[in-house]
Amino acid sequence: MTTRVAEDVWRRESPHVLAALLRRHGDLGDCEDAAQEAAEAAATQWDRDGVPDNPRAWLIRVASRRLIDRVRADSARAGREEAVAVAQPGDAYLAPPADAYRSDGDDTLRLFLLCCHPSLSRPSQVALTLHAVAGLSTAAIAAAYLVPERTMTQRLTRARSTLRAAGAEFGLPTEDELPSRIAAVLDVCHLLFTEGHTRSTGGSLVDSDLAEEAIRLTRQLHAILPEHDEAAGALALMLLTHARAAARTDGGDLVPLAEQDRTRWDHERIAEGVRILERVLPRGHVGRFQLQAAIAAVHAEAPVWESTDWLQISLLYAMLTQVAPSPVVTLNRAVAVGMALGPEDGLALVDPLLDDPAMRRHHRTHAVRAHLLEMAGDPAGAIAGYRQAAQLTTSLPEQRYLNACINRLTAS
Amino acid sequence: MKYVILIHSNPQPWGHPTPDYLPEYQDLPRADRDKLTSEFEKLLGELQENGELVMGEALGAPESSRLYRWDDGKPLVTDGPYSEAKEHLAGFFLIDVESQARAEEITTHFSGPGETVELRPAMWPGGDDQ
Repeated sequence: MTTRVAEDVWRRESPHVLAALLRRHGDLGDCEDAAQEAAEAAATQWDRDGVPDNPRAWLIRVASRRLIDRVRADSARAGREEAVAVAQPGDAYLAPPADAYRSDGDDTLRLFLLCCHPSLSRPSQVALTLHAVAGLSTAAIAAAYLVPERTMTQRLTRARSTLRAAGAEFGLPTEDELPSRIAAVLDVCHLLFTEGHTRSTGGSLVDSDLAEEAIRLTRQLHAILPEHDEAAGALALMLLTHARAAARTDGGDLVPLAEQDRTRWDHERIAEGVRILERVLPRGHVGRFQLQAAIAAVHAEAPVWESTDWLQISLLYAMLTQVAPSPVVTLNRAVAVGMALGPEDGLALVDPLLDDPAMRRHHRTHAVRAHLLEMAGDPAGAIAGYRQAAQLTTSLPEQRYLNACINRLTAS
Repeated sequence: MKYVILIHSNPQPWGHPTPDYLPEYQDLPRADRDKLTSEFEKLLGELQENGELVMGEALGAPESSRLYRWDDGKPLVTDGPYSEAKEHLAGFFLIDVESQARAEEITTHFSGPGETVELRPAMWPGGDDQ
């Protein structure tokens, strides 16, 4: 049981422990290894002696010693002198300077920014954030992504050496750079959320945990940057979307929004998401996360599918097209326009997408088109569209759903 | 996103790496062969190091396979090969990458003279909201 306590403490403290190490020695790889060793020491020692009064100070002290040992051993091997910078008298670590505990938020933000450094690919940013900021073990991240632990270890190792080669620093970027760097952190949190949310099909706890992890991280970011509109927007979007998690699957099958049992939605989360949105929207600057959250909120406010305010949703999609244009946004807009104004208006938006080779290979283009054709009273066209979509999708539940649409139309 | 890269080939005699036993490949000038080989090995090392390669296996000769067909309520087992096709499955790689575009970029480098390389997406248990 204590091991579990040590783990909980670790999940809470790991960004601060890492930050304390990184302030003195900039290499994320070395610091993560030392912090990991301290976490392992905590698991055994706290089990025996109980949790110390100040677990963070304990972890920082042990991790610092391990870091000094590690860097000394490395420099002895390499015969380098530069390690002096780190191998200061142990006291420098044992008694952290007065500013060591200055601001937890500041530490966490710097760590976020380091893990989402522009030199890294998106998957590397995600893996590193889960490991360093969220404090998840390599094994847990590998399990969440369904790859062997060895593969995940390699990705993390590669990511750290990329940071080293890029000279990435644990610090705040210039004011010019900061907005785009924070946008990258939000993208990483959102990607993590989408991966967790869209992969959870009932049975698998691991995936739904990824979505919860993303909400936890975005909540942290929102707390650090309460004035950041898109951090608020992203958190609202995640809360409003994940509120539907329990209703979106049924025994491994996807349940489309139209057929979901809305009493199974998490109304507490919806209320929280709406509250955040109501606070942030009037501020004026409206980014893509806020708009997507606003769309989710309109859905959430309809007690039944039939009462959905499609006109408002199609207007929000039109705004989203201005702020963050993409073929996928156009597809979603086509659905809303089709519902608000009629299938012909929706089809007029979808059909031009077929000129784009990538969209022609995208299953949703054909699924949305088939849906609108079905509404327009063209079952033969709809069957052809559903069939093409079913062949192109790589999602098992979507393929089952699309095949069921084909069978339904063929039977009638 | 996970994909398998399937190598369809017919090395004579059956052997790995398959290009060493393919006339189309062996007919290339030495310098071209060396270039293809070293580029492929470099890519494979890179995929291993950055964690995009999940696994890969070379397969035994088609003649070494056993075929299981259902016959009269029970399996009927015979010796391979599965078909008299010009090419057989010779090996496979499982990759896990960021996008379809990245999978396609990688697969280009798996292709070579005398064999067909197939890229197929793996299905996943989740699905988008709609």
